[in-house]
Amino acid sequence: MDEKYSSNVLSGGKLGMVEVPNSRLTRYIVLLVVSKVLKALGIFESYDILKVVHIVQFIFILKLGSAVILLFFQKPFSSGKVISKRQWIKLVKHAVFSCVISLLGFFGLTLCGPLRTLLLFEHSDVVVIALLGVLFTSSGGGPSKAAAFFIIAVICLLLFDNDDLMAKMAEHPRSLISSTPAISFLGVADHKGGVVLLVASLCLKVGFHTASRKLSVEIGGAKRLYALDNLVSAMVLLPWVIVLSATTESKVESWSSLILPFGMIIFSVMILEFYVEAICNAKMETPRCARYGTIALFLSALLLANFWTHPLTDQLRSMSKPPQQVSTEHVLSGGVLVSAIFFIMSSSILSSPSKKGQKGTLVGYSPEGTPLYNFMGDALQHTSQSLPRFIKDSLKQILEEYDSRQIFYFLCLNLAFTFVELFYGVWTNSLGLISDGFHMLFDCSALVLGLFAALMTRWKATRIFSYGYGRVEILSGFINGLFLMVIAFFVFVESVTRLLDPPNINTDMLTPVSVGGLLVNLVGICAFSHAHSHGGKSCSSHDHGHSHHGHSHSEHGHGHGGHGHGGHGHSHGSAGGGMNANMRGVFLHVLADTLGSVGVIISTILIRQFGWLIADPICSLFIATLIFLSVIPLLKDACEVLLLRTPPEHEKDLNSALEKIEKIEGVLSYRDPHFWRHSANMIAGTIHLQIMSDVVEQRIIQQVTAILKDAGVNNLSVQVEKEAYFQHMSGLSTGFHEVLAMTQQMESMKYLKDGTCIM
Amino acid sequence: MKTHRSIFGKLLQEFRLVASDRRSWRILLFGSLNLLCTGCLLMWCSSTNSMALTAYTYLTIFDLFSLITCLISSWVTMKKPSQVYSFGFERLEVLAVFASTVLVQLGALFILKESVERFMEQPEVHTGRLLVGTFVALFFNLLTLLSVRNKPFAYVSEAASSSWLQEHVADLSRSLCGIIPGLSSVLLPRMNPFVLINMAGALSLCITYMLIEINNYNAVDTASAVAIALMTFGTMYPMSVYSGKVLLQTTPSHIIGQLDKLLREVSTLDGVLEVRNEHFWTVGFGSLAGSAHVRIRRDANEQLVLAHVTNRLLPLVSTLTVQIFKDDWTRPLLTGTLSSSSSPSAPPLGSAEGYATVSSSSLPPLLLSSGGELDPLTSTPSKPSSPPPEFSFDTPGRNVQPMVLPAPGHHTHRPYGGLGLTYGASPYTGMLNQGLARPSGGLGLGMQGLGAGKHFTLSHI
Repeated sequence: MDEKYSSNVLSGGKLGMVEVPNSRLTRYIVLLVVSKVLKALGIFESYDILKVVHIVQFIFILKLGSAVILLFFQKPFSSGKVISKRQWIKLVKHAVFSCVISLLGFFGLTLCGPLRTLLLFEHSDVVVIALLGVLFTSSGGGPSKAAAFFIIAVICLLLFDNDDLMAKMAEHPRSLISSTPAISFLGVADHKGGVVLLVASLCLKVGFHTASRKLSVEIGGAKRLYALDNLVSAMVLLPWVIVLSATTESKVESWSSLILPFGMIIFSVMILEFYVEAICNAKMETPRCARYGTIALFLSALLLANFWTHPLTDQLRSMSKPPQQVSTEHVLSGGVLVSAIFFIMSSSILSSPSKKGQKGTLVGYSPEGTPLYNFMGDALQHTSQSLPRFIKDSLKQILEEYDSRQIFYFLCLNLAFTFVELFYGVWTNSLGLISDGFHMLFDCSALVLGLFAALMTRWKATRIFSYGYGRVEILSGFINGLFLMVIAFFVFVESVTRLLDPPNINTDMLTPVSVGGLLVNLVGICAFSHAHSHGGKSCSSHDHGHSHHGHSHSEHGHGHGGHGHGGHGHSHGSAGGGMNANMRGVFLHVLADTLGSVGVIISTILIRQFGWLIADPICSLFIATLIFLSVIPLLKDACEVLLLRTPPEHEKDLNSALEKIEKIEGVLSYRDPHFWRHSANMIAGTIHLQIMSDVVEQRIIQQVTAILKDAGVNNLSVQVEKEAYFQHMSGLSTGFHEVLAMTQQMESMKYLKDGTCIM
Repeated sequence: MKTHRSIFGKLLQEFRLVASDRRSWRILLFGSLNLLCTGCLLMWCSSTNSMALTAYTYLTIFDLFSLITCLISSWVTMKKPSQVYSFGFERLEVLAVFASTVLVQLGALFILKESVERFMEQPEVHTGRLLVGTFVALFFNLLTLLSVRNKPFAYVSEAASSSWLQEHVADLSRSLCGIIPGLSSVLLPRMNPFVLINMAGALSLCITYMLIEINNYNAVDTASAVAIALMTFGTMYPMSVYSGKVLLQTTPSHIIGQLDKLLREVSTLDGVLEVRNEHFWTVGFGSLAGSAHVRIRRDANEQLVLAHVTNRLLPLVSTLTVQIFKDDWTRPLLTGTLSSSSSPSAPPLGSAEGYATVSSSSLPPLLLSSGGELDPLTSTPSKPSSPPPEFSFDTPGRNVQPMVLPAPGHHTHRPYGGLGLTYGASPYTGMLNQGLARPSGGLGLGMQGLGAGKHFTLSHI
């Protein structure tokens, strides 16, 4: 939070510049710049070292080395308060996370090279937080050009960075990073995968730093935490290093020659930078510190990238040149230059203090006339409850009720299957499997929607949602219906194009996958149809959407099984009343998935046995039509509810109830009867009654409420009007036309009354 | 089979109804143009194999939806509320807006999914028709947007919170205006989100075309498809949230302040104990409907309170139902006994007398102060202790106190007479004498009290 304060109170443009003049801070700035340059040097050095040393060993040595030095300086055990057991556990967790982040960072380094790593990974927390704030809070309206610059820079690195050595990188000895081949699966070049990885781990790093603030207070200072963290991380990594060195032979010829570079890296990357940042943060504002540091780091990285592989520097370097020729690797390219410029611009914008001072609210003016701001609201309200707690709470809520529990279990099952499929697809490098996995994810979004709606339904009524959230369920059912329509449309279009030009279909991988999908979905069908035996049961067919990927080798067909099921489902659909649109929508999805699997199995068999390639698009066409037809009832019901139609299943009751109301003694007439279904278990209604003047209103209200309650209306407002009401109204309304209208209404009422009097 | 035919027959009939209006011809013309254009674009999409163009084509399809919404809204204005759709069909407009925004978002979701698949295996993109398709789509979209007045979408795009894209463009243009001040009149007003997204999509397609032509980066196509899909999300999301909230029968948040003020006013009325179960929501775009339960004191006059509550809320809430609630009403009260004891042949008089008696017996302070500032004659049941500005809305009777104040004995018998006088007096003081001079014919035999009040009121008309 302290950056917020400093950025707004101390250096907010509106409050006048309170920034300390640069002259007093010159030495700190110089120190910062020097440390950043050294850091860049260290990163370049470590890139070279990482070519020969395994990444885990490398990190282990770094952590251990810095831990030894820090222990010497900080003396975390002899000074400060004693660390409790719980804090040790937290420390271990902290250390594991920091190990993971360093692993990711240095792994990105091996993939992208030092310059790109520096550009991507070494943004200060302030900058990243500001960036995320700009990107994800539209209300802030912050410096969006900075965000645009940042994104352009990343895209430049991704697309226009002509790293011509990708091919070479592919041959790059994999043993270095063989333990984590996670990137290669994406099918993108290492370099691009590295960029993505680094961006992701940058976000992770920032999140980690923010989260560890609390722990650092608990432990007693960031420096102590840092020292302990390095120590514990080294210990955490120790077993892995031992196993590694036992199983793989090292490529290092002489460790002794590496001592100096290691020492330099430890000094520049781990220790000097940390201390200098701490000092500068104390002396200057964090944003300013971040600005200078980033600019220095990026510029020095650019310079170093230019000269690092230069023959002159090779002679200057203490370390003997690595055996392989690396001079052309990760060279400077136009894309990198452009992106570096963009990065520098964006980070200088983002770390400059916000000019609007929007986080505070103006509370008044001081006697001197300077505006006073209140920072309480924003800063304090956003400290929401912790994430685990939130997840726990919502899980508990989900598991409380039957509907949401069903959806949740099925979602878990579905997701598990999806990830198994994705993982297996990655393993066997089968694009068909992977894309089918994405299909499943796509379909899961409907389940997530249903789950969320089921959860929301139980929220308490608020000022805005005065009837409660029950209606969300219907809206979610409607959206799910639209979803199915869209799917049907796409299947239809795709199958029409297939019909014109039936492609070859490779049926190898299909059967096991679709059998698995079928099993999963059958479980779902059992669960949901059980859940629905009491409510409105409606089904439809809808195909899983397998038939519309563009990959000719992963073709999925739809068989006649789908047809049979669809017809069956349809007959149910018209019979079902539709109590819970949300569950209906979810059920439709699950059933559709099942049908898709069945269809794939059958069409696989057909294609294998008879070679009817045309069967696949025809079936898809047929199934798309079926989906379309069977979603219509769901959509129609949901539409009727959303349009506030009188509930059709209560229409007869309501009509007879209205007749009864007219016959109540003293009731002259009624007007504006509105009855509508608000949610699954609420039918709301309003009615205006005109009664004779000598009847007690409350009795009428009681009778009418009872009658309408029998008809199913459970949220009723009755307005009982006597003639006196119109008199008052005509008196109260001052406008001429209103008086006229009122008198006319009264007049008509009089006739009515006359009629009843005569009777 | 027969039901199907009847449905089609009905549709045809409604269609004829809509088509009878000259204005909808234009919409139909544009719709057919749009269909033609969409078909062309879809063909080009498959021939260029470009994802970005497909994403852009969905915007054209969205235009088709918006035209349909436009037709629906002109149909809605012609339809009267039916028995089952008692609120009328205004909500159909909202539903159409919601459905079209959700559909285009689902399309964008589809694009995202396909793009993820494409990232793994990028197919070749043919640029031959890419630029042509872009400009054709842009031209048609802008033509449709600018030449058809789309009431529902115009309303939603103004009422909904501004989209992510709008915010960022506004920010960028603000900083641009800092450099070139001349542009401020063009750039600074809030942009139409549809125009904005069409421009942005066309721009990203142009960039795609350039990059593919120059550097043969086929992946750019997928990236720009993702960008267009995300922009579509950003643009449509606020609108679907807005219309979805209308569909969920929620109180519009911008009205809450006003409503709260009115409800506070209502709860300060004399006799009102509390207002509860208040539900206010919008029927279509704009018109508010609502219901509330008002609990009143046992001895308060229900019709009077009802009239006052209704009178206060009616300007804001056009479809209003107020249920008056009394605790323990079965216990005999003065009013009840009086009204039942009065002769059944003349019920209005009885009740009027009852009211008068109640007000004179149970509200002595009010009546006694009637000569002062408070005016029971205007039947404004205000609490003496409550602050005046809350409910001293333009009661005209206040201005003419001394002139029309009848004798106390007179008004206890004929409260409405006083009522009519005081109200009518202020705007029509001159006519008052006329009205008194020639009273119109009697209104009812057993209605002396009311009749007098009524004809005073009527005489000014």
